[in-house]
Amino acid sequence: MEMKKTLNLKEAASLVENGDILAIGGNVLHRTPMAFVRELTRQNKNNLKLVKTAGAHDIDLLCAMDSVSTVDAGFVSYETKFGLASHYRNAVQKGHIKTNEHACYTVIGALRAAKMNVPFMPIKGLNVGDLLLKNDYFKVVEDPFGGEPITLVKAIVPDIAVIHVQECDQNGNAIIHGPKFEDVLMSRAATKVILTTEKIVPDAIMKRNNERIDIPGFLVHAIVHSPKGASPTSVNKYYDIDEKSLTSFLTKKTKREVEEYIQSYEKKDYGGRMV
Amino acid sequence: MNKSYRTSDLMTCAIANLLYDGETVFHGVSSHLPMVAMHLAKQLHAPNLVHLNIPGGVNPSSVMSASYSSAGADLVDSSEAYYPLEEVFDLSMRGKLDVAFLGGIQFDINGNINASVIGDYHKPKVRLPGGAGSAVLIPTAKKAIIWRTKHDRRTFVEKVDFITTRGNLWKIVTPLCIFEYRYGKLHLDSIHPTSSLEEVKENTAFELLYDEVKYTLPPTEKQLQVLKKIDPDDLRSLEF
Repeated sequence: MEMKKTLNLKEAASLVENGDILAIGGNVLHRTPMAFVRELTRQNKNNLKLVKTAGAHDIDLLCAMDSVSTVDAGFVSYETKFGLASHYRNAVQKGHIKTNEHACYTVIGALRAAKMNVPFMPIKGLNVGDLLLKNDYFKVVEDPFGGEPITLVKAIVPDIAVIHVQECDQNGNAIIHGPKFEDVLMSRAATKVILTTEKIVPDAIMKRNNERIDIPGFLVHAIVHSPKGASPTSVNKYYDIDEKSLTSFLTKKTKREVEEYIQSYEKKDYGGRMV
Repeated sequence: MNKSYRTSDLMTCAIANLLYDGETVFHGVSSHLPMVAMHLAKQLHAPNLVHLNIPGGVNPSSVMSASYSSAGADLVDSSEAYYPLEEVFDLSMRGKLDVAFLGGIQFDINGNINASVIGDYHKPKVRLPGGAGSAVLIPTAKKAIIWRTKHDRRTFVEKVDFITTRGNLWKIVTPLCIFEYRYGKLHLDSIHPTSSLEEVKENTAFELLYDEVKYTLPPTEKQLQVLKKIDPDDLRSLEF
């Protein structure tokens, strides 16, 4: 008998410990596991070290609730129409959190190193500028085989990757429809993988699509049935962004206001069924 | 002057004119203007241009649904193949990405680009969104094109606060002019017909280098006509 992987949202979020390195799936306004992110703040998680190539609402909301210590990312902002991630900016400018600015590709390199269990990854391209001088996770070394100097990026091994998918079975075999962003890589790099999913489908049906599986179940630690679990970000083939909710969030200035906003999602976030 | 076009139209057409047939071209998030320009070029003089993007849709047949995001699933839905961001980066590292479109907040005459911070890196006065892929793409893409919808002395500065990157920068397209980066310096390449040398001078904090004053080609009737068709919701003007 296999261990049961399906947990409710509270149980799954409680797997995250204060201070953990947390890789968050999706990209900017798309397929971000927001129900899980909101639950992290309800459980008052703190000192999280966030990892993502390009984030927006997830990082902004966690910064608003003082849950973050560092952000390793290449880009943190909403897209043009929704403007800047102001809670994130404020937190950095006040010195509450530290940005480890990457070049997106160096986040990918750091995760590739983790996936291969090597301490660093050589990165072509990053060979000039102040990012190299100001950050201790980049180092320029001499190519030991001769040739040009080469920049290394230090591996980032996420304690947990949390990824929102459209469908998986109860063992965690998961399919991502449309862009996968860095999620497949994160699932290989992280120590533990937590999936939140729009749908849990029967094993037999998933098996018919076995060649399309992006994340095999044996890599997955826990599954949360979380319909609309990425809202207000979009999920391909399921729903578009919730523009009203995003716009309303962007007007929230104080921690209290953001807390109320998160509270307004409580019923929806806890709505998934147990399998 | 008979002005049948807006600054966003002019910039879109000027950018389209910089793209050649058959080139591999990438844009990232918040990049509606270059995305539309790529499709304009594809409809007219560059049908074999290869459109690459973050979600990974190679040559999406339309960019009309990309209303609030230039990194959404719609670009994959109408594409001919899936080739995601990490592969686009790898492609650029191998020297096979012809053009990358990138942003930035401050630029100086030496071609330095700042997309990171105003003030000190560790204790910034203003934390900017970050350079995204710039720091690896600008040094490796054959040509990097920057577009910026603001042209003032806080944008074109004497010295950037922070060097996010520099490298194979080719052109910077602004609402007033186009700069070209050659021999390690930004040169005034052409002034838009809607602007003037005085206006560019007034709004640029560094010395303008130029051999002769040239003007950017205005949009053609044909270009404006095609723009209406491929970008009916005017996504190219989102940043204005």
